[in-house]
Amino acid sequence: MTVKIVFVMFLGLAAGFAVGSGFVAFLAVLGIIPRLMQLSKTMKMVIAYEWAVILGTIAGGMGSLWNPSLMLPPWIMIPIGAACGIFVGMMAAALTEVLNVFPILTKRIGIDEKIVILMTAFVLGKIAGSLFQWLYFDSG
Amino acid sequence: MHPDAIQLLDNMKKTRESILFIKDEEIHVREVNNLENTVYLRMYHKIQVYPHETVYVKDLAQVIADEKYCHKILNLPVYKISEKDRNFVVIDVMKVINKISRTVNGAEVQAIGPVQSIVEVIYKKKRVSVGFFILIWMLLFLGAALTIIYFHEDVSMGAAQQRIYKMITGKDDKHPLLFQIPYSIGLGAGMILFFNHFFRKRINEEPSPMEVEMFNYQQDLDQYVIMNEKDEGAKKNS
Repeated sequence: MTVKIVFVMFLGLAAGFAVGSGFVAFLAVLGIIPRLMQLSKTMKMVIAYEWAVILGTIAGGMGSLWNPSLMLPPWIMIPIGAACGIFVGMMAAALTEVLNVFPILTKRIGIDEKIVILMTAFVLGKIAGSLFQWLYFDSG
Repeated sequence: MHPDAIQLLDNMKKTRESILFIKDEEIHVREVNNLENTVYLRMYHKIQVYPHETVYVKDLAQVIADEKYCHKILNLPVYKISEKDRNFVVIDVMKVINKISRTVNGAEVQAIGPVQSIVEVIYKKKRVSVGFFILIWMLLFLGAALTIIYFHEDVSMGAAQQRIYKMITGKDDKHPLLFQIPYSIGLGAGMILFFNHFFRKRINEEPSPMEVEMFNYQQDLDQYVIMNEKDEGAKKNS
């Protein structure tokens, strides 16, 4: 019995190791944290940001396991929603950049100065797609 | 020591001194020559020309040379663009040095910087038609909208958001719009933040990842052109 428990605990720890390091590797490839530090000029705070990611991951894990009810007023969801959106948006932007979409597109079509308008299309498309999903697609 | 031997040694010493002296003189003369005939040449990385233009040294490189040749060197024709060159010609520094040393006798050309120039031939300015542009815009817009829906479905974003809503407010809501609408707007804000390139207003001076990416891409293209475009007098077999 004890052996079984120890083995399961070890298995859980190992899975956690794998998922956690994978998550960090993914964040590192996308380079969101360096980008935020570059924008805000807070390179020295890198350790604090690392801890923010670690604590956030742990909080998310505990939340999904324990299902707590914090009973906070609903308006608190507005800033949380915005923050989640910004994070996912940065991830989406980082992915398109990793895939080199825009440089190739502008070269092919031969528009250099209008790239901002094309990027606006991308951003508005993301917003419109997301709103469409929550307001119509899911309720239908 | 035998007096003859002393005499001999003395003679040898004198001869050596005179040889050294002559050598000194020669070196000195050569150096003066060098200074007058040295031409410093720095090729531009990339230049743009129109079809049927002749490319002169002054188009291809920065030149520092003695005043009496400088003008002559700058206006040396190096290459005439013809139909068969199409978009790119690569001109090697050797070709320019060759031209210069044929014109200025005994010129010592010192090449600094890039060893070749990419000459891009610009045919009439490409203008993108408005219809085509709108088409691409719509393609990107709809594509972006569809991919974010795919992504949300793939990771069961709706269900996750309902759980988060329940967790924080303690209420069940099938459509937690209070969370979802700010989330959607934040999505766009996050992308803008990442690219830092919007509407000409920058958040700070540093180049955005997109600009760096474009630069790298251009660099790779240039490297490819240098390696692959046959230039005049290049070794054809590889």
